[in-house]
Amino acid sequence: MTTTTQLPVDDIALSVRDLKTFFYTNKRCNKAVNGVSFEIRKGKTLCIVGESGCGKSVTASAIMQLLPTLSRIEEGEIIYHSERGDIRLDTLERNGKAMRSIRGSEIAMIFQDPMTALNPVFTIGFQIAENLRYHTALRGRQLMDKAIDLLRSMGIPAPERRVEQFPHQFSGGMRQRAMIAMAMACNPKILIADEPTTALDVTIQAQIFELMATLKREHGTAIMLITHDMGVVAELADDVAVMYMGNIVEAGTVDEVLRRPSHPYTRALLDSVPVLGRGKNQDIRAIPGSTPDPFNRPKGCQFADRCAYRLDACELALPAETQLSPTHRVRCVRHEEFANGVRS
Amino acid sequence: MLAYVIRRVLIMIPMAVAISFLIYLGLDATPGDAVSFMLSPEQMSGANPERLAELRQALGLDQPLFVRYFIWLWGLLQGNFGYTLTGGVPISDLLARRLPATLELAAVALVLSTVFGSILGIISALRRGSATDNTLTVVGMVGVSIPEFFFGLVAITVFALNLGWLPVGGRSMPQYITFWDRLPHLVMPSLVLSIMMTAGVMRYARAAMLDALNKDFIKTARSKGLPEWRVNLLHGFRVALTPVVVLIGFRLPALIGGSVIVEQVFQWPGVGSLFVLSVRNQDYPVVMAVALISVVTVLVVSVVIDVLTAIIDPRVRLGN
Repeated sequence: MTTTTQLPVDDIALSVRDLKTFFYTNKRCNKAVNGVSFEIRKGKTLCIVGESGCGKSVTASAIMQLLPTLSRIEEGEIIYHSERGDIRLDTLERNGKAMRSIRGSEIAMIFQDPMTALNPVFTIGFQIAENLRYHTALRGRQLMDKAIDLLRSMGIPAPERRVEQFPHQFSGGMRQRAMIAMAMACNPKILIADEPTTALDVTIQAQIFELMATLKREHGTAIMLITHDMGVVAELADDVAVMYMGNIVEAGTVDEVLRRPSHPYTRALLDSVPVLGRGKNQDIRAIPGSTPDPFNRPKGCQFADRCAYRLDACELALPAETQLSPTHRVRCVRHEEFANGVRS
Repeated sequence: MLAYVIRRVLIMIPMAVAISFLIYLGLDATPGDAVSFMLSPEQMSGANPERLAELRQALGLDQPLFVRYFIWLWGLLQGNFGYTLTGGVPISDLLARRLPATLELAAVALVLSTVFGSILGIISALRRGSATDNTLTVVGMVGVSIPEFFFGLVAITVFALNLGWLPVGGRSMPQYITFWDRLPHLVMPSLVLSIMMTAGVMRYARAAMLDALNKDFIKTARSKGLPEWRVNLLHGFRVALTPVVVLIGFRLPALIGGSVIVEQVFQWPGVGSLFVLSVRNQDYPVVMAVALISVVTVLVVSVVIDVLTAIIDPRVRLGN
């Protein structure tokens, strides 16, 4: 099942191979991530798209080894291609020294809600300095100076004053900037952003994404961006992976996935995005039904129940991954017909 | 910050006056007056009404309520709590002797319960669901459920009577000079007094800690690669501290109130046993003085707690 694309290894920052992460509650098992493979290219943005509960955040937490205690990585490999050689992140001890030295310095993460992701009782400066203290040789006054520099480079006005303020004195957008400053403190190779703008309003969203695009350009940071917004994907992504119920149903470069969507789910997602300028009477097709119960999954294709192109074959087994191009792959029984324009 | 402290102290003054008036009113409403407590019923029935009126006048009891209240309040402000009805001793002298004993007991119990309660609560939260956590939870339940006098009596039976390690009660002996001489007397009452509060602080600290550990910023702290102790104790406990401090503040009056029972059990010569004694003797100036001291303690403590929470939690300090 593991498919590796034929990219030169030098270009890859992180590979995930056949990752399975299960949650155990009340002796039931939720296969939240059920065999996911992808690569994050150096200096590129990979967008992981999918609706709530599809496993995109769990994948991010698995990479950082920040999974809740009731869940564990069941199978698969997470390989971080560092300058010191490849590191199997999944085999490292959860909060062990090796994992901690990578977290926050080489792989950093920003979270959905900057309101709750910053500790309310410590100053912004303290929280940024904390990261520097554990991963750099900076000490004392240097820490605060660096924190001020970071805030300034994130476009926060009056950083000298801001650095001594507490999170509640920041607006939502400023807080997310501070959060990004914290994540970027040690110039990480990979930045994982878990829906970083969901809690922000649209104009602020645009500013945050602009900031992230700048960071990618200037620092060559690889970004793994988790989102459910196809607009964001079109704007920022180099590569896209579409997830549904713990599987990647389609993945490829942004051109391949957006221009030639080869999975009914991808196409349905694209059809459900309202387009500016088409007026209020435009045809927005919502996806019928809802996601299946994670404890009682369909045997075959997870999307079959909601799919307009369903065949009996879809329900027999999970469709295998098919490579459409060196970078484009899809999990659909009918991908060939579908690509040729079958509509039902 | 200073403005905040001053504001809190200023708010305290009218509250103290209002409560002192309520106390005065409450005692005034009890049947009989000072004279009827001073004389036995036989004397009262046989006494000359003019003599009684004279006596009332001498004690200022013929004045209207408000006047009597302000005379009393004015005296208080000058440190004059009046005299006991039973012995004519100045109440301020009595308090000067009794109050340090109570404060000593309360302070030791407060320190013990805060330290042990917090530590056990943190351990319990960090090892959630483990045997340690379950044991501590059960012990905590027992601790808050069983009244202090029971613990006190058991402790006396075991440690004083059976084992003979510690004195049965009292606070001091004539030959004692230093604090260390008195220490054996302090052990049992302070431990018994702190049991209930330790259990309370522990349960609260555990809940506050679990709450804090579930917050997003804990995940953020971990994502920065911080070691576990820093994530749990600095980011977790620092946030959990606010509710714990508030709880300890609100339990403080209970600590002083609880010492009434413990002081009785261990014959501790503090304000608590004085209170019981004066209620029994219907010595109302003393009862009033003690009640007033409790009220002022509560008020002062609540200001201290407000200031402490402001120090701990910047959201409070900066008026959000």
